[in-house]
Amino acid sequence: MRIRLSTASLTALSLLLCAILFSMSGVGGAQAAENLPPGYKFFASERLALIKQRGTLIVGVKTDYPPFGMLNSSGEPEGFEHDLAADIAGRLEVKLSKVSVTGSNRLQKLQEGVIDIVLATTGDTAERRQIVTMIEPNYYASGVTLFMPPQENAKDWADTRGKKVCASQGSYYNRIMQQRYLLDLQMYNSARDAKLAVRDGRCIGYLFDNTAIMNDLTKPEWKGYKAPLPPALVTPWAIAIAAKEHGSDFEKILGDIVADWHRTGFLIEKEKAWNIPPSKFLVETQEIWQKKDAEGKPFCERGIDGNWNAECRNKVLLTSTDVSGLAKLGLKLNEYTGINLTLIYDQFDRTQFLLGLAATLLLTVICILGSLSFGVFGAVCAESGIPLLAPLAKASCELARMTPPLPSMYVVLFGVGSICGFSLPAMAVVVWCLCVYTGAGVMTALLEAAATYRIRQPEFHLRFFNVRKLAWLSSGSVTAALINVSKATMMASAFAVPELLSVTTSIITERGNVGVMMNALLLTYLLIIFCVVRLLRHLEQLVRERRQRPRSDSPVSPVEEENT
Amino acid sequence: MMYITELTEIIKHLYAWTPFLLAGFGLNILISLVAMTIGTSLGWVLAILRVSPHPHRVRWSLVVTEFSRNIPTIVFQFYLAFMLPAEMLIPSTGIILVFPAWLKAALALAIAVIGFTSDNLTIAMEEWKKGNHNAAFLFIPSWTSYALIIVMASSTASIIGVGELLSRCNTVINAIGNTQLMLPIYLYACLFFFGFCYPLTLLMKKISRIISSRLAPQLP
Repeated sequence: MRIRLSTASLTALSLLLCAILFSMSGVGGAQAAENLPPGYKFFASERLALIKQRGTLIVGVKTDYPPFGMLNSSGEPEGFEHDLAADIAGRLEVKLSKVSVTGSNRLQKLQEGVIDIVLATTGDTAERRQIVTMIEPNYYASGVTLFMPPQENAKDWADTRGKKVCASQGSYYNRIMQQRYLLDLQMYNSARDAKLAVRDGRCIGYLFDNTAIMNDLTKPEWKGYKAPLPPALVTPWAIAIAAKEHGSDFEKILGDIVADWHRTGFLIEKEKAWNIPPSKFLVETQEIWQKKDAEGKPFCERGIDGNWNAECRNKVLLTSTDVSGLAKLGLKLNEYTGINLTLIYDQFDRTQFLLGLAATLLLTVICILGSLSFGVFGAVCAESGIPLLAPLAKASCELARMTPPLPSMYVVLFGVGSICGFSLPAMAVVVWCLCVYTGAGVMTALLEAAATYRIRQPEFHLRFFNVRKLAWLSSGSVTAALINVSKATMMASAFAVPELLSVTTSIITERGNVGVMMNALLLTYLLIIFCVVRLLRHLEQLVRERRQRPRSDSPVSPVEEENT
Repeated sequence: MMYITELTEIIKHLYAWTPFLLAGFGLNILISLVAMTIGTSLGWVLAILRVSPHPHRVRWSLVVTEFSRNIPTIVFQFYLAFMLPAEMLIPSTGIILVFPAWLKAALALAIAVIGFTSDNLTIAMEEWKKGNHNAAFLFIPSWTSYALIIVMASSTASIIGVGELLSRCNTVINAIGNTQLMLPIYLYACLFFFGFCYPLTLLMKKISRIISSRLAPQLP
């Protein structure tokens, strides 16, 4: 049965949608930092009450960043930062629960409230301070460099201009380095995937923290690899808590703990314990925090506004962006309503989003055409009656239908790539796997239609020239399968294909405007899918009209709407 | 000889991690069951509205069905992951309401199930009203086949950080630190899906064939 919607009900639907989305954007907009008036008192934190209530501190830590956070040989998470997290939980007298986070999701998880604090190599930058509360003092510092294979010979950052460079989604330096050196960044979901991409020659190097790269270079797996570029953008690391905790007793307690770490030498001790090369930052910071004034009181003290005195604070952070025109208007809107429409007023974000949209549309078109060709080709093979080919086609169809596309992408991209020793382009792999999965669906629909057709014409066999005869019988299921593949294209975001979802998460990690971006993403996708559905149904109608309709009692294959 | 030692090494690793991976697959099935339960109950309501004599209810049900059919699940998964809080402290009760990531994934998948149930159950109900009880029963095998599609789709939950089978594979690869093991582990994961879905698909095909053959004499 086919459902047609009137224009009026579609309008009603979109109005309803807008209402829902805008009511939800309030939730997302809540992260706009409140500017609390300076006062002597820290307010009581709700989050701290929640932590005490459940008796557990939930900390977001890294497990892919040795020796700061990693899994040991028995699969247990451990590392420099894990020890710090344990110390905080001990001082708060609660149990510690660790949640593994990545560079791209740590601040989101904090905003979502999944975790109480983030202790995950988070660089303390002005942009991030608009999204979360950074605990002062900072507990470590690092710069960014390039992890390069032996055969690459860039000696200076200038040599990287315009080259393909792998990076992790959500790292604070991505955008600055991209703009400064015009790098062609390939975003990966995890450090492991990015390093494998370097190995496979997908890029000239991996843009990452020098601390982590130094550690990688000591491993036998990366023998001959190097990091000759001088660390750029040296940035201190901070513990982060939610934006609304700014000025709370939770912030104060954590700040006091870190101050104590510097004073007692706890950090330097842990640095040694984990065999991290001594950092200049820790030595200098300890010097400042151990300093006493003439009366023997600590030099670093909280002032009347609750902040540490300026000499003990992070000086890098007093940067401001020059704004004018549309950008100014956008920032005003942000200040008054908490809605941050960088998508419209920021040229960088806007361009990225439009490029993402183009990539998604391209993926959709290729996947639809590819699935259709795979399906028809497979069905013709299966009906050909050629001894080996026909059963093989049928068997591969069953196998392809029962294997989810995401794992098969992993198999082809990483597994096959590592065995054959050459790299397959990620986008092609994604398209291939989606087309195989959906093609199998199309093929099944055609074969079922052929079987139904044979009830009337027993001598019928599907060939390329008579596919059209099955159009009427199979179009429902085929259309459903094609609609599904257009919904599935965003799996590509897991493999550094810069489509809409990937672009949106990059913008969110940069700007923290979760509500606006997620609503924009959902609306854009709904629009794309509506258009695809309309177009496919229209084509289906054309195909049906071309053929004389069989008599009304002809057997109809059940509509298989595989919406996933 | 080298080859065989390598192979036994791989099998040893796979064997050692099987319980861990199985628990991950259990989560895939849990996600799918929750999604099917929620989706089917809501889809049922829509189907009831669709066969009701009031044109108003029918229209609204159609609008909601169309909407649930058109939302891409992965985007909606992200949407819920970002927009739905992970836990809420209900004021003055001390009760903490928890929305773990897997539940968000299940809710997102449930949206697709709503559309499916609404469409297919409407057909089944109409057949039932006409007295074609056997035709109505065709809903059961097609529902189960759809559940299997949802099981396969649940692997996308790994993208929002749910510790299901696929993300556990990544954890295992990280823990072992041997990139040579990647291919066997991912293939092993695919085998889980295939081993679970294929026999059930065959069974469902058989059941629907039996129902259809009973149906045949009723056709003119």
